[in-house]
Amino acid sequence: MEQAIYTPYDYLPIIVQFLAAAGFVAFAMGVTHLIGPKRHSKVKDEAWECGIPTVGNARTPISYKYFMTAILFVIFDIEIIFMYPWAVNFKVLGTEGFLQMITFMGLLMAGFVYVIKKGILKWE
Amino acid sequence: MTSIILLSVFGIINLFLGFLKSNKILLPAVIIFLAIVFGVNFLDWNNPQSHFNNMLTIDNFAVAFSAVMVLSLALILPFSRSYINSGNPHLAEFYSILMFSLVGAIMMVSYENIIMLFLGIEILSIAMYVMAGSHKKELRSNEAALKYLLMGSFATGILLFGFALIYGASGSFNIAEIASFSSNTTATDLLPMMEIGVLLVLVGICFKIGAAPFHFWTPDVYEGTPTLFTTYMSTVVKTAGIAAFYKLVWAVFPGLNEFWYPTLVAITVLTLVIGNIGAAIQTSFKRMMAYSSIAHAGYLLIALTSFNDYSENAVLFYALSYTVATVAAFGVLKLVSDQREGETYEMFNGLGRTNPLLAFAMTVAMCSLASIPLTGGFFAKFFIFGSAIEAGAVWLVVVAILMSAVSIYYYFRVVMAMYMKEPVGEKVAVDGFAAFMLIFLSIFTFIMGIFPGWFNNWL
Repeated sequence: MEQAIYTPYDYLPIIVQFLAAAGFVAFAMGVTHLIGPKRHSKVKDEAWECGIPTVGNARTPISYKYFMTAILFVIFDIEIIFMYPWAVNFKVLGTEGFLQMITFMGLLMAGFVYVIKKGILKWE
Repeated sequence: MTSIILLSVFGIINLFLGFLKSNKILLPAVIIFLAIVFGVNFLDWNNPQSHFNNMLTIDNFAVAFSAVMVLSLALILPFSRSYINSGNPHLAEFYSILMFSLVGAIMMVSYENIIMLFLGIEILSIAMYVMAGSHKKELRSNEAALKYLLMGSFATGILLFGFALIYGASGSFNIAEIASFSSNTTATDLLPMMEIGVLLVLVGICFKIGAAPFHFWTPDVYEGTPTLFTTYMSTVVKTAGIAAFYKLVWAVFPGLNEFWYPTLVAITVLTLVIGNIGAAIQTSFKRMMAYSSIAHAGYLLIALTSFNDYSENAVLFYALSYTVATVAAFGVLKLVSDQREGETYEMFNGLGRTNPLLAFAMTVAMCSLASIPLTGGFFAKFFIFGSAIEAGAVWLVVVAILMSAVSIYYYFRVVMAMYMKEPVGEKVAVDGFAAFMLIFLSIFTFIMGIFPGWFNNWL
C-alpha cells in the first residue's frame, strides 16, 4: 500500500492555531483584568439568575419526567435524520431500501411501544 | 451471523414478554431462545463467510467461541430463581440486556475490522455497567457500577486511541490490511506510531479481561455486582475478551510479534503471580473468585504467547472448562448467600452435612479450577502448558505450575469449610432447576476430564 510522506512541518499550522487560541485567552483575560474598573458590592457579587433573586441551590433533584421526555424526543429525532436521505434517494434505493427502512422503523416503533407500555408518560 | 440477528430479535421479544402478568414464562422462554441460537450458530460450521463489506467474518473460530458463550449464558440463567420468586419488576430487562450483550460478545470473536471489535467491546461493556448496578438500592452494587463505568470508559478511550494510531499508520481498519502492513514495516517510517498504537490496544484489552497490572477494578466490581451477573462477567466477558485478544495478536499484529511478545509475557507472569497470591489472602469467597478469574486470565494468556497448532484448541477447551466450573461455583455461592448473610468462607461451614448436593457440586468446581485430574480443569491446563512447551516457553510453564500449586490452597479452603466445620445454619433450599443444573455441570466437568478428546479437536 502506498504511504504518504508526512513530516512534522505539516503540523505547524495546528500548533500555530493552538498558540493563537491560548494566546487570545491569556491576552483577553489579562487586559480586562488590568484595565477594567473593579467595583464590588453585595448585589454585584451575587449569582445572576435572569434578574430575579437567586433561589436555593442549583444542585436540586430534577424530576425524571424531563429526562424521559428528552429520550423520547431522541427516538423521533434519529428517525427523521435517517428518513431525509432515504426519502431523497427513494427511487435509487428501490425495494431493498424500502424493506430496510421498514425494518428500521419497526425496531424503532418496538422501542417506542415498549417505553409507552412501561408507562413513562404516566406522570401522576 | 444469523445468531446475532436472532439474539437481537429474541431480546426485543423478551422485553415484550415482560409485560405479561406472570414472570414465570420468562426463564423457559429465554432458555428456548438460547437453545435456538445455539443450534442456528452451528449452521455456519465449516462454512466461512463474510458479511457487511468484510466487517464480520464467520469462521469456525467464531462459531466455536460463540457456542461457548451462548452455552455459558444458558447455564447461568437457571440460578436466577430468586429474582423470579421475589417478583423483580425488571427481570425481563435483565434477561434482554444479557442477550443483547451476547451480540457484542459474538461480534468480538468474529470481527474482520477493528471498528467492529470496538463496537463489540462497547456493546458488551455498556450492558455490564448496567448489570453491575442492577440492584439499585444496594450501596455495593452502585459502587461497583460507578467504578466499572469510570475505569471501563477510560480503558475504552485508551483502546480507541490505539486503534486511531494504528489506522493512522496503516491506513486501514481491515485486519488483513493491518496485518500486511505490520509484516512489512521496513518500508515505512511510521513504525513508532504503529507500535504505540499496539501498546495502547494491549492496555485496553488487558483491562477488559482483567489482566495485571490493569486488574485493580476486578475485585471491587466483582464483589459489588449481584452474583448472577458476576458469573456472566467472569465467564462470557472473559471468554470474549481472550478470543478477541488471541485474534488480535495473531491475525492483526503477527508481523510485530518481536515487539509485543516481551510485553505480553511480562503481563502473563504478573497476572499469574498477582492473581494467585491475591486470591490466597482473601477472606471473602467472592473476592477470592474475582482474583481467581484474574489468575485464569493469566493461564489463558500463556496460550496467547505460544501461537501454534495446539494453542487455539487449548484456549477453547480452557474457556469451556473454566466456564463450567465457574458457573457451578458462583451458582452454589448465589444459592447459599441468598439464605445465609455474607460472602465469607465461614458461610459455607458444614454445607457438606446440610446440603450434600451443593457441597459436592462446589467441590467438583473447585477441583476443576485447581486442575485436579479427572476434571476438565486438569486437561485445560495440560493443553495450555503443552502448547507453551511446544513453543519453547518452559520457564513460563514452571511459573504457572508453581502458581497453580498456590491455587490449591485457596480453592480447598472452601472445601475444608464445607466438610470439616460445624454447620452454621439451616439447610439451604434449592429449587429443582438449579439442582439439575448443578448435577449437569458436575457431570460435564467429569466428561471433560475423562474424554478430553471430544472437546479438543474442533478448530
